[in-house]
Amino acid sequence: MAAYILRRVVSAIAVMAMVGAFVFLLLRLAPGDPAAIIAGKSATAEVIAGIREQLGLNEPLPVQFIHWVRDMLRGDFGVSILTGQPVLKLISQRLEATISLSILTMILSVTVGVSFGILAAWRSGGLIDRILAAFSALGYSVPVFVIGYFFIYFFAIRTHWLPVQGYVPIDGGLRPWFVHLILPTVALSLAYIAFIARVTRASMLEVLSEDYMRTAAAKGASSYAMLFHHALKNAGVPILTVIGISFAYLIGGVVLTETVFNLPGIGRLVVSAINNRDYPVIQSVLILTSGMYVLINLTVDLAYTLIDPRIRY
Amino acid sequence: MTITRREIIKTGLAAGTALSMPTILRAQTSPDDARTVRWVTDGELVVFDPIVSLTLAQNHALAIYDTLFESDSKGIPQPQMVGKWGVSEDKKTYTFQLRDGLTFHDGSPVAAADCVASIRRWGQVDVGGKLIMAKVKDISKQDEKTFTITLNEPMPLLIPLLASSYVGYYLAIMREKDAKLPPTEQVTANIGSGPFKFNQALAKPGVSFTYDRNEQYIPRQEPADAFAGGKFVKVDRVVTQYISDQQTAFAALQAGEVDLVQVPSQVLYPVIKSDFNLELEIINTSGQDMFLRMNCLQKPFNNVKARQAMLHLIDQEAIMLAAGFDPNYIHPVTSIFGNSTPYSNDENTGWYKKGGDPERAKHLLQEAGYAGETVVILQATDWPPASNAAQYLANTLRKIGVSAELAPSDWAGVEERRAKKEPIEDGGWSVFISDFTNSKFGNPISLPLLAANGVDYYGWPKNDEYEALRAKWVEVETLEERQALARAMQRLAWDFVGTVMLGQHIEPIARRKSLIGLVHVPSAVYPMWNMQKAST
Repeated sequence: MAAYILRRVVSAIAVMAMVGAFVFLLLRLAPGDPAAIIAGKSATAEVIAGIREQLGLNEPLPVQFIHWVRDMLRGDFGVSILTGQPVLKLISQRLEATISLSILTMILSVTVGVSFGILAAWRSGGLIDRILAAFSALGYSVPVFVIGYFFIYFFAIRTHWLPVQGYVPIDGGLRPWFVHLILPTVALSLAYIAFIARVTRASMLEVLSEDYMRTAAAKGASSYAMLFHHALKNAGVPILTVIGISFAYLIGGVVLTETVFNLPGIGRLVVSAINNRDYPVIQSVLILTSGMYVLINLTVDLAYTLIDPRIRY
Repeated sequence: MTITRREIIKTGLAAGTALSMPTILRAQTSPDDARTVRWVTDGELVVFDPIVSLTLAQNHALAIYDTLFESDSKGIPQPQMVGKWGVSEDKKTYTFQLRDGLTFHDGSPVAAADCVASIRRWGQVDVGGKLIMAKVKDISKQDEKTFTITLNEPMPLLIPLLASSYVGYYLAIMREKDAKLPPTEQVTANIGSGPFKFNQALAKPGVSFTYDRNEQYIPRQEPADAFAGGKFVKVDRVVTQYISDQQTAFAALQAGEVDLVQVPSQVLYPVIKSDFNLELEIINTSGQDMFLRMNCLQKPFNNVKARQAMLHLIDQEAIMLAAGFDPNYIHPVTSIFGNSTPYSNDENTGWYKKGGDPERAKHLLQEAGYAGETVVILQATDWPPASNAAQYLANTLRKIGVSAELAPSDWAGVEERRAKKEPIEDGGWSVFISDFTNSKFGNPISLPLLAANGVDYYGWPKNDEYEALRAKWVEVETLEERQALARAMQRLAWDFVGTVMLGQHIEPIARRKSLIGLVHVPSAVYPMWNMQKAST
């Protein structure tokens, strides 16, 4: 097991190094000059040239790359080209909103999605199954911004039950933190609930048709015991995989939800940084999110051993 | 696993309770915002130094810094930080004395040395400032509150240029130690002497910035008049929020979470008008003038006839509607000095024809010897009006036989490419579209677009006769003399055609009716003083 973890960590570092180099090159090849963005729309070329010089953007690319790698290895992620703020500070300010939204979304999605999947499999072909299939199709196919705007209209503007937008950090109070996250969480969860429910149903159906399930039924096992003691455990590996992928995707890919509900998360940070060609911020966020992808995948892989003793590393 | 009716009822009650909880929670967590204004800005504030950037830094600077002179609604310079001032008999030495009681937000008094350093820094980037510096013999402090500007020759435009904060770079009076930084290096201290203090602790980059009332600020006693007059702050706090999604910003306004949306989407105007709690208001009395620039160094627009063809081709109303602007808020622009500036005039505007004149344009292109060269139009896809206008322009050009191609990219890409002077084959360009606040067109000294020296602004038109007239602008003394110069300049400008105007659009802000007293200015840079909540 230790050797396996070590192998994964080494490969993760290699992946992140490749991501870093690729992103560095891609950003420099893309059109757009941070100095021009800083200077503003009506600035003259002379002023822009001065800012480029000041920022060190005139240095050859290999020199810029070496400086960046050297600083990263020292744990220095640099400062934002535009704001002059340390990149790590900017990221930490944004990370909380994204992590909060992701965790709440996963809790809701897993709880409801797995329950729906089990219920649909158990009542396969029946009315409940068909209702849940319709819900899954709807949840999976309606874009999050449509659901988001609907929620805002109904729950914020019409009824004034919940706030339209914004985020309150957890140290600003558990209640305001939670209240501001209800709508984005539910809006975002619908697709994940549908996804997890469909995978759970398919996986459960496969297990439920196994001989040992028929044997358990013949021996008089209760529905509860059959579903939760026998079937769910054996159907767990694909469900866990889906949950892992979904969580990893959430960390880096909730831009739309963050935009609709005006949440200051990592997704919006990186979009804004890309628009402003803020190289240090983009590079650092992508390194960080790729690291999180790797970490979540590793955790999921290790968790397989807990639900399926046949898996060994 | 049967579910009983009782369990369904219990579950229903629990769900109902859970759904009603947020209302209670929300009531408990809503801030008491009777004296806080929440303002949704047009963009994301990323650069804070108004000498480094011409972006939203100007709005930020207007809140936290003060300046020496400000222009009133008639465009007349009025003293702001300056108490008394005078000019020597030979009109070469200006003496300025600061008002009593001016202090920076860190408690230190504003001194003459701070003003001297701030003028010198500003003078390195602002076009008007550079002009002053070119004529300056000496700027020095005389005592703690007095400083002088000594010129090599009289310069009647000195005070108007010092008061041109809404035209070029804002002459923010900073602490001497901040103002001594090079103009390319950002000042991040955010310490000014203006009516608001920047609340560093509550700053959330990309999300919101908080400005608190500066209790120590002593406003002038005159009523607020555009940028001039008393900067009376009637709220305790202004929170500027950046909400990237227009629909969400509007929903927040409807729900009362914010008080003002600076640039509401035009498609929402009817909804705003129909909402009893909301109002559209034109704060920027000047509006924005959209224009296109052609690359005068490369074919086909290195030929003046081809540039004249563009002047005749454009149907301003059609292009502004294609850009997506509300027909109630657009106007044609036929003067190089924009609409309604003191120098707007109708000299040499015979080319203007409602609907354009494609036949004349086609004829002029033939005279220019147009041989099918590709015309590359830079299209800023992240700026919808300019993107739409570029598409319309390409289509219009194709209709008269021009091989027009769009080069889509975000605005950052446009900015980078428009700086290239090379031919199309080497990554150059032919046309780009941009805009400036209309009032800026009233200042041919500070607005680089109105230069024709082949250097100052992208497109690089060159006309020595025009430049000679522009140089006289700072020498003449009266408004009438400058108006006469303006006519002469315009006569030449519409012949060599460095710029083609596409029209003016005015964008109202959307506010809750409870927010009143907003100061109207001829600029897209908005003051935060004077406004208040109706209930306070």
